Amino acid sequence: MAAIRNQIRELRALRGMTQQELADQVGVTRQTVIAMEQDKYSPSLETAFKVAIVLGVPFEQCFQFDPRGKR
Amino acid sequence: MASLSYREKSLYASLVAELIVYGPYFFLHQQNSVNKVAGMIVGIIVLQIILQSAIAIFTRSRVTDERDRLIELRGYRSGYLTLASLMVLGLGMLWFHATVGHLQLDSGMIGLHFLSVFFGMLIIADITKTATQIVAYRRTL
Repeated sequence: MAAIRNQIRELRALRGMTQQELADQVGVTRQTVIAMEQDKYSPSLETAFKVAIVLGVPFEQCFQFDPRGKR
Repeated sequence: MASLSYREKSLYASLVAELIVYGPYFFLHQQNSVNKVAGMIVGIIVLQIILQSAIAIFTRSRVTDERDRLIELRGYRSGYLTLASLMVLGLGMLWFHATVGHLQLDSGMIGLHFLSVFFGMLIIADITKTATQIVAYRRTL
């Protein structure tokens, strides 16, 4: 399991937002959103904050760190 | 192709262009010449311009982000490591052949021989760089 996990998919679905819409608002490609949702890519701190702001939730509700996970 | 980003499409096009232009280099090795190497360089430039232009025209979103830059760096790192390894190997082989007498360092063909070897190394490193980036897009980063 990845060291940094996230709830992007669930939070995005709650807001009825598409991957492309989230990508456009954050300023990344749709493929990067897909990679983040599948825990295949840990974004930079700046991008992670942008995602949380766009989704309208506190940072820690969107991203969690698992010290036992692999990086 | 619709699920691929602009950078991924661009990389696939680069790999195809590299294999089309450079592929014959390894199979027609006996007929190497300065003209052939120069022709390949011109060929890859022309083919890349055509393919990259076509992709740019037919791709709506040309956004690149931090993940693209990380993958690009990873590709350059593997390309550099490949080139450095081949350089050491190639120089070692040239030294060995010169030492045992297979290669006459004073012959008129030595320049072409060096050109062939180093151009081949550059080709392999370039293909490695592109292939690494394609794999990185498909796998975990």
